[in-house]
Formats: sequence, C-alpha cells, structure tokens
Amino acid sequence: MYPAPFEYLRPATIDEAIALLVTHGEDAKILAGGHSLIPAMKLRLAQPRYIVDIGRIRGMSHIRETAGRIVVGAMATHDAIERSALLREKCPLLPETAGHIGDVQVRNKGTIGGSLAHADPAGDWPAAVLALDADIELAGPRGRRTVKADGFFVDLLTTATAPDEVLVEIRVPITSAKVAYEKTEQKASGFAIAGVAVVVEQGGVRVGVTGVAAKAYRAKAVERALAGQSAPTAEGIARAAALAAERVEALGDIHASPEYRLHLAEVNTARALRRAYGN
Amino acid sequence: MSAQAKKYSGQPLKRIEDPRLIKGIGTYTDDLRLPGLLHVAFVRSPHAHARVTSIDTSVAKAIKGVVAVLTGADVNEKCGVVPCAAAIPDLKLPKHTVLAGDRVYFVGHPVVVVVADDAYAARDGVDAVEVEYDPLPVVVNPEEAIKPGATLTHPDLGTNVAFTHNVNGGTDIDEAFRRADRVIKQRVYHQRLTPMPIEPRAVVASYHAGEGTMSIWSSTQVPHYLRTLLPGMIGVAENKLRIVAPEVGGGFGAKLNVYAEEALCGHLAMRLGAPVKWAESRRENATSTIHGRDQIGYYEVAVKNDGTILGLKARTIADLGSYCQLLTPAVPTLTGLVLTGCYRIPAVKMEIVGVYTHKMATDAYRGAGRPEATYLIERLMDLVAKELGLDRVDLRLKHFPAPTEFPFGTACGVTYDSGNYQGALEKARQLADWKALMSERTAARKSGRLFGVGVSTYVEICAIGPSAAMPAGGWEWGCVRVEISGKVTAITGTSPHGQGQETSFAQIVADQLGVSIEDVVVMHGDTAVAHYGRDTYGSRATVIGGTALVMCTDKIIAKAKIFAAHLLKVAPDQVAFADGQFSAPGAEKTLSLAAIAGEAYVAKNLPPGLEPGLEASSFFEIPNFTFPFGTHIVAVEIDRETGQVAIQKYVAVDDCGPQINPLLVEGQVQGGIAHSIGQALFEQTVYDENGQLLTGEFMDYAMPRATDIPEYILGHTVTPSPTNPLGIKGVGEAGTIGATPAVANAVIDALESLGVTHLDMPLTPERVWRAIHQRTVATV
Amino acid sequence: MKITTSAAVAAPREHVFSALNDRGVLRRCIPGCEELTDVDEETFAVKLKLGVAGIKGKYAGTATRQDLLPPESFTFALDGKGKTGFVRGTAAVRIETQGEASRIDCEADVQIGGAIAAVGSRLIGAVARKLTRDFFRELADAIGAPPDVSDQNEIDALPDPGRDERLE
Repeated sequence: MYPAPFEYLRPATIDEAIALLVTHGEDAKILAGGHSLIPAMKLRLAQPRYIVDIGRIRGMSHIRETAGRIVVGAMATHDAIERSALLREKCPLLPETAGHIGDVQVRNKGTIGGSLAHADPAGDWPAAVLALDADIELAGPRGRRTVKADGFFVDLLTTATAPDEVLVEIRVPITSAKVAYEKTEQKASGFAIAGVAVVVEQGGVRVGVTGVAAKAYRAKAVERALAGQSAPTAEGIARAAALAAERVEALGDIHASPEYRLHLAEVNTARALRRAYGN
Repeated sequence: MSAQAKKYSGQPLKRIEDPRLIKGIGTYTDDLRLPGLLHVAFVRSPHAHARVTSIDTSVAKAIKGVVAVLTGADVNEKCGVVPCAAAIPDLKLPKHTVLAGDRVYFVGHPVVVVVADDAYAARDGVDAVEVEYDPLPVVVNPEEAIKPGATLTHPDLGTNVAFTHNVNGGTDIDEAFRRADRVIKQRVYHQRLTPMPIEPRAVVASYHAGEGTMSIWSSTQVPHYLRTLLPGMIGVAENKLRIVAPEVGGGFGAKLNVYAEEALCGHLAMRLGAPVKWAESRRENATSTIHGRDQIGYYEVAVKNDGTILGLKARTIADLGSYCQLLTPAVPTLTGLVLTGCYRIPAVKMEIVGVYTHKMATDAYRGAGRPEATYLIERLMDLVAKELGLDRVDLRLKHFPAPTEFPFGTACGVTYDSGNYQGALEKARQLADWKALMSERTAARKSGRLFGVGVSTYVEICAIGPSAAMPAGGWEWGCVRVEISGKVTAITGTSPHGQGQETSFAQIVADQLGVSIEDVVVMHGDTAVAHYGRDTYGSRATVIGGTALVMCTDKIIAKAKIFAAHLLKVAPDQVAFADGQFSAPGAEKTLSLAAIAGEAYVAKNLPPGLEPGLEASSFFEIPNFTFPFGTHIVAVEIDRETGQVAIQKYVAVDDCGPQINPLLVEGQVQGGIAHSIGQALFEQTVYDENGQLLTGEFMDYAMPRATDIPEYILGHTVTPSPTNPLGIKGVGEAGTIGATPAVANAVIDALESLGVTHLDMPLTPERVWRAIHQRTVATV
Repeated sequence: MKITTSAAVAAPREHVFSALNDRGVLRRCIPGCEELTDVDEETFAVKLKLGVAGIKGKYAGTATRQDLLPPESFTFALDGKGKTGFVRGTAAVRIETQGEASRIDCEADVQIGGAIAAVGSRLIGAVARKLTRDFFRELADAIGAPPDVSDQNEIDALPDPGRDERLE
C-alpha cells in the first residue's frame, strides 16, 4: 500500500494547472477527489510521476443557476450535489444519482469532475450526464471548449479530455421532476452493474446507461421508441426498454455475466422509465 | 463458587475496552515505533505453480535504504518449517519452508524478503527484485485433483490426497439404508471464504543480543501457541521468548495460526541486529492469510415414509489449499462431530478427504467445521420434508431429543451436555409470530410474489476443548491478585481480540470478590504477564478462561478467610464472606477484602503457617465440550426480475446458558449473523482456472454492509451447562453457525413454486435470477 | 481468458497476411510498443508501455510465430510480464477473403496473473478488447485500407459464479 515515488504539485489557478500539464505531459495526472487515483497508486497500478492537485483552486466547486442552466463545478463533491437544495428543485436527477455513489466517505471526498474524467465504465455520473445531455467544459492551453456528454465518453477509461486539459464545469438543463436513476450495484464495490438514468422532457426522453458496456452510452433506440409520447403505456415502456441494450457488447466479470448485465439494463430502464413517467 | 450476590454478571454493561478504541488511542501492532525499526516487505509469486529459475536481487540491494534482500536459499536452512499441529493419522505433509524454495505453490507464496529502513524503500525493493518463473501445470479443483492422473500440487508427495478420515458411528449404516423407504441425495458446495479481519496481520520483532531474549508483537489470537511453536523455528528458547498480542482488530480464525512471516520477522531481527516490522496489505491478506470452508459434499439420507431418519452417509472433499497451516486438516474433521445436528439420527458414516490444490491454505474460520455440518443437516432436513410432503418444523421436532434425555450421546461420538431444543424453537416461533408469517407467505404466493421462510435449528460445539480432544492442552489458565491497595488484577491466558473479555471477566471477578468493577483490571495477550494460556478460538474463552478465574477467586477467598479469622480472633469456619466483607458471629467488626489484602502484604501479623500475599492462579480443565443451540427463522422476498434477495424478517433465539453480559452476547450474535448473511448471499473467494485469485481486494470480495443487515429480533433461552460452575456455554460463533442455513433455506423456500429444491451459496442475484429464469422459461 | 476479435480490412488477404508478419508493421500497430527486436526468424521481443488512462505498466515479452500457413493462418505464442502482472498464451489468427476485402479472426487464449488479475479483473476483458481494437485500427491504417473494426467481439472471460460447474 505504498505508492511509487511521485512529485506533488499544487497549482493555485486553472491556468497554472494547465501549464503544469503542458510541461509534464503524460507523466502528470490530475488529482481531484482521489477516490480512483489514490487506490490505483497505492497498488502501484498507476505510477504517475507528477500529481497535480487541483483541490486548492478556488471557484471550482460551485453549484448555481446561470442563464436558465444549472452549472456544477468539477470539484463539487458528490455529497454537496446530493444535498443541494437548488439541484433538488431544478435538477433532481443529480442529487438522486449522487446518493447512489459509494458510501458517505466516498461522497464526502469524491467529485463529479474527477469521476467523469476517470470515466470508469461502472461509474454512476456518466449515466446521469448523458441523460441530461450535459455540456462538459474543458480548459486547456488552446482555451476553453465544450463537449456534449454524448461525445465525451470515448472508450474504456477514455474521454474527449486531452492530456493537457482540465475538466472545469458541467452544465445541464433545468428539468422537471420526471427523472429517475435505477441501479443494480456490484455487491462488493458498490459500482453499477447496470445503472440507468432517465430524463423525460416535452415530447421525448433521454436515457443514459452505465455499467453495462466498456463505456456509458445513450440508449437511443429506447429514446426513439418513445419519441413524441408524453404518457406512454406500460406496454409501450416495456417494448422500449427491451431496446436498452440493443447491439451492445456487454462486460462480464465474476459479479455479473454479459447476459445478466444486458437483462438488468432492460429491467432498470423499464423501472426508471415507469418512475420518470409516473406510470 | 461462592454464593455471592451477582451485582455485575447478567448486566448489559458497555465494554470497558471501547473508549480507547473509539478514540483511536488503542495500540495495534502497526502503531509500534521502536528505535532503529526496519521495515519488511515480500516479493510474492504471481503464479499458482511454477519453478523459480532465477532470482536477481542486485538492483533491489542497491536501492537507497534497502538493508537486506534474502531468498529461500538464504533463510530456509536457518528457520524451521511452518508447523501443522493437527493430529490426523497418516497425514501427508509437504515441507512448508518460510520462503519458497525452487518452486511456488500458490499465488501470494512469499519468495523473497526485502528489509529497508522505511516502508517505501522496502516496497521499491520488492519491485526491483527480478524473479524468473517457469510456469507449471496447475490444479485448482479438488474433485479434479483426486482423479487418477491429475496434476499434482506437490509432485514429491505422489498424490493430492492429504488424508482420508472416517466417521462411523451408531447403529449399522448398511442396515439403515436397507430399511429405508427412500434415500434422498444432495451434493452441497460450501464455498471458499476470506475471513477479512478489519486489521490485517502485522508483526514486530526485537532481539536483545546481550540477553538472548526475543520479543515479538503480533496481531494474533494465539500468543501462547506462538511462544510454544516459534522456538522450534527461530532457535530462541521458550523462556527467552515473549509474545505480545496488542490490540487485535479481529481474527475470526485467520489469526489462529503460526505464519511464516511471524517466524521470519523473528529471524530477521536476530540476523540484522535491529527490530523489524511487517504490516500486511489488504491484498496480501487476501492472498496469503488463510481462507475458510471450501468443502464439497455428497450426502445421502435414509428415511422412512413417515419422515423417520434412519441414517446419514456423507462424503466430503475438503480443499486444503497447497499447505497445511496450523489446523488446516483438523477443520473438516470437526464437521464430522456435529453432522447429525440437533437430531436423533442413529447411524452415521462419513468419509472426509483432504485435498491439496494450488491455492492458499484453508483453516479455521468462524465456526470451523460446525457451519459446514449445520448447513448440511439443515438443508437436508428441508429436502427430506419437501420430498415426503411433511412440515419441516414438525420433522425437526420429531427428531429432537427430549430435554430429559441429556446428556445425549450422538452417533457422531460426542455427548451433548444439556439442551432444550423444543424450547428454543418454540420461542423463535413466538418471536417470529409464526402463524402470521406463514399466512403472509401464503398470501404473497397467491399474488405471485417470491416469498420464503427459512428455519434452522442448530447445535454447535463450544468451549474447545477438553485436553483429550486437543493436540496440546485444552485447559485454560488464570491468575487473580488482590493488590496491597485492594485493587484487583485478573490475568487470563485467553487472548481477547474483540470479544470484550476485559469487561465480562471484570464482571465475573468483581462479583466473586464483592468489589467494584472499577477496581478490577483484566490483563491478557502478553506472555510475560499471562504466563500460560491456550488463547482464544472455538468459543472457549469465557467458559474455560472465565472458570479458571472463578477458581482463582475461590482460592483467594479461602485464604482471605484464614486471615479474617486470625484478625477477628475466631475459628476460620466461623468466617462468612458476603458483599466483599468478611464477618463472624460475635466479632466486633467486619473486614473488607482490601483491609485483608493490606495485612497480607504488610505481613506483620500473619496467621501461623500462612504465606504473605493474596494471589492465586489456576488451570481449569473442562470435562466436555459445551453444546449451545438455538433456532433461527428468516423471511425473504426475491425480486423476480433481478434475483435480488431482501431479508424481511430475522429472528434468532440462541441458548448459550446464563449470560455474563447480554450486550456482549447480542454483539456476538449480531456479528455472527452478519457473517452468515455474507456467506449465504454475497461472499466467495474466487480463483480462476489458472489459480489466479480474482477477489484480492474489497472491490471484488463482497462483504456484507450495514445496509444489508436487517433489524434482528433476538431472544434467548437459558439452559445451563453442567460442565462448568458458571453454567455457561459460549456464543462467539453461534450466529455464524445457525444463520447461514436459515437464510439459504428461506431463499430456496421462496423459489419453491418454481421447482427449485437446492442452490449452492452464495445466493447472488445472478444465481437466483438464473434459477428463476431457467425455471420460468422451462415451464412456459 | 478467451478473447475473440474480428476485423475487416479492405485489402487482399495476401496483403494482410504479410502485414501481420511484417515486424515493422507490427511495431507500429502493437499498442504501446516502445521497442521490437528480432530474436530469430520466428521470435521477436517487445517492450511495451501498456494500459489505459493512468493505469499504465511496462511490460517486456516475446512473441513466437507458429503453425504458419500463408496466407491463411498462423499463431503467436505470447509470453510477457511486468511489475503489475504477466500475460501468457496464444493468439490464433485466421484470414479469409471476403470479396475485395479480408476478414481477420483472432482467437486469443491467455492467462493473466499478478496484481492486474487480482484487483483489475472487472476491467481486464474490456482493456483487452480495447487494445485489440486499437491494433486492428492501426493495421488497417498501415495497410492503407479504411478501418472497419467489427464490434462483434466476445469475451468469455472469468469464472462466472452463475455458471461455474463446481457451483451448480
């Protein structure tokens, strides 16, 4: 449980952090809440030479409403999101999802930005930001850019974030209470075996699925099946949910076979849809 | 035992040891800081079976801070082999050196030891050692391992079968099966488990070259076993060896052992002339600290159509792993002692085959042998009831011995000390509101819900054990000293590591001596203080260790009475002792124990012929095991779509005799049931077909969490044991033994309508879903 | 662990076969390859920096070509290790002509051990798939054909508690 030697760097600003990333290239790794990185370092599976701790940069953990959108700083902890009165009222999917992450200790330290940038295929946040069609803002030496959640998750543990970029903020729409996150957790780790987030909007629905495949994805076949319906029938929901894992290559491990994961994707999609539609 | 009013015994006192633990100021082994302390780390095999073709330590030795890098060739000749103390006839034992020689036999097998002046340098040194392996064929499945031509775990042994143990008891088994109307058969697999104490192992060793004395601190359950067995490994005589078990953060049997690392640390401290420390990582704990269970059993029950059970035949294949640790081969044989459970079963035949495979050794894990037996017989009772269309509770009741039949001799060759199985069952049914529960079950099923109720009635073996049944003494030692100030020091040879005996033993001693509990200190776990002991395992400490302390207080009171008679100027037989005061008819005053203690040490007015001081020590030898028992009732509901099991109700009635501290009893029962729920529903140690351990961290080894545990409804009946003056039976493992079959039976009951009669543990959502899914598909 | 991967490359199979047996092409296509040196006609040694995201390790190993049947099939015997674990096994490659293009089927049967097996089992299958996908993408690029990496991959990986015959 003793990590390999590394140098600890603590920038005071986002620009300083970017400069450090530019200087040290792929030898550097950003430390946010540390709940994925530090265990990997202690097992020496990860041996970054430079740790860039962004935990002391001011103004990265805000949760606020700006210009009709909800803006969440990358360093907002899962716990802060779970407890936010603003989010409970205007974007209840985020607090609901936060409540499913790890345990109290993990939620106290872990951050939404760290979790998204790590892109664990069984993390909870990817499902929620996909269903919310979030904008993810990245800052780098070439300035700032916004990536849609749908294009953010590239592959296993791989995102659209460049090695010299910092994930700074997530922007999501204000939603009604017609949202839901249904998750089956892996018993040992608490990660998702299949987690499904649903956001019902005027004339449509968005569905994000995590834990099932190498990366989280939008279940667009489900969304298409329900497009234009404001109150689908139970049968309609069941038919749509059956498409949740269509053409998906599922993960398998000692906790859940690919077959079971695909099944749970369907079950949890149906449950999340029923709850979100109030059906 | 004196007829003292019991002020403390029976009270649910909070644990005396808790404040320091809660405040984080307890001292665990890894908290020890000795001047010049060196740190130890191990290079461990990533292969389950391989030839070690070369080891290059040169780069590691050059790392700044690294003091020594040693291989098997450097230490195995100087350090004795890891001992196995199990008395199994014709046991085939591989030579278990402290580091691997030219072969490795399991993933996690220590190959090289690195010593450095800090823990980081030691770990860097581990990474810098280059070991070349030539992988060899691996055998991981014990049923494959006993087939002719199987890959051999240890080719030099010529076989994978370590031993075959037979139990033949009661009436003629063949006759029983001839008379049977039916024979019911089932294969049962008891999965491998990892004990996972919250504190992994840790060792500190310090050698005083001038005195030739060695002190070893270890996170162990058995400091006295270490003091007996380490001298043969490290060459320091027993009377120059001190073992200390500081705070120990749980053991569950995993620390009832003598490990290579303990001996190696002692050896290194001598060899390097400096104290050394090794603190195990969680991953090392998963790979290289013993595992539990892992038995496959084939069982046959001979029954009459009215449900009468005539006999039981069993063949158990026990996966020992690659080596025998301290009690590895003894654990499966314990299964044979209570195979018939609470029931009158006249004939038993059991064959237990111990098998070597390329995995970590199995050994005692909470319950050790009894959970296997209980799970088995309780599953079989349900299978018999189901097959014959009988009520499972009636079937159990039909086979209970009557309370008046105790002591009750069983076909397994043991004699149950006392029992009232009907009483515990009845109380559990009351607490569960049995009729309402069964109505709920009926109603739920009518509406298509998968709702099940499980029952388990168990008897287990505690107070392990009578010396006749033990490899090297099953007695316990204690010492009580009334100090000159009147304060009382009680020293026990048991080694509590979470059981709370600093509290329960203080309750016993304070009551015996009529002093305030605040004036009693219980000391343990240091062989320089507790000179003799047989330590803590097998739910033995309170029964045997507690009685040894009672014997000490009896001796003290007897001696104090002679002092009192002398001081009160009366005949000794006129002195009475009550509430801490010595009195005599017609005497002007009474004397407190403290007053007598003062006289005993000042020693200016001694009774003729009496030694000064007020101290006594005793060894207690128990005449038999104790046999606690009880009934657990569980209700579960299964989510048909996902296979998730939710526990709706949990009732446990345990009878451990009179309770010294009901709060501690409840804690033991609660923790035991949590362990059981873990085994029944979540936990399993998984090796892949190449012998790679896949459950090497809490990420993959599924421990139950607080949110998985329902509210328990707990009750007790009290049937004293005739084996000891306190009448107590022990409770450390009861929950682990009674609960697993109750939970499993409930889940299988819930699947009854789908035609499921048996599923092996753990009953994970996927396994349950597959059972539902396949049956549903099959019937559609 | 068995990993089955298929890829289609828009080039004749002779072309694909020779690319797969060209050490210059392999050096370019093997993910994380830092060094590739010849041992003999059939065996080459590689040094890799392998992994995903921050979880990277250095590995050294050899690949030996066996059962060469040009332009149809061959097998690599693989043996590699690093500080966080080892990989051993075989990868059998079959190339079939499909019209203008070639279909490559790769069936790897590998044993993975060490820390990565003990603590990373849930990700190993997915990592292996990602790496093979990356390999074929590069291969297509090296041959100058448009990539068309199929997602019809199958992982028949770890003992599945629901299907372990010992447990049934």
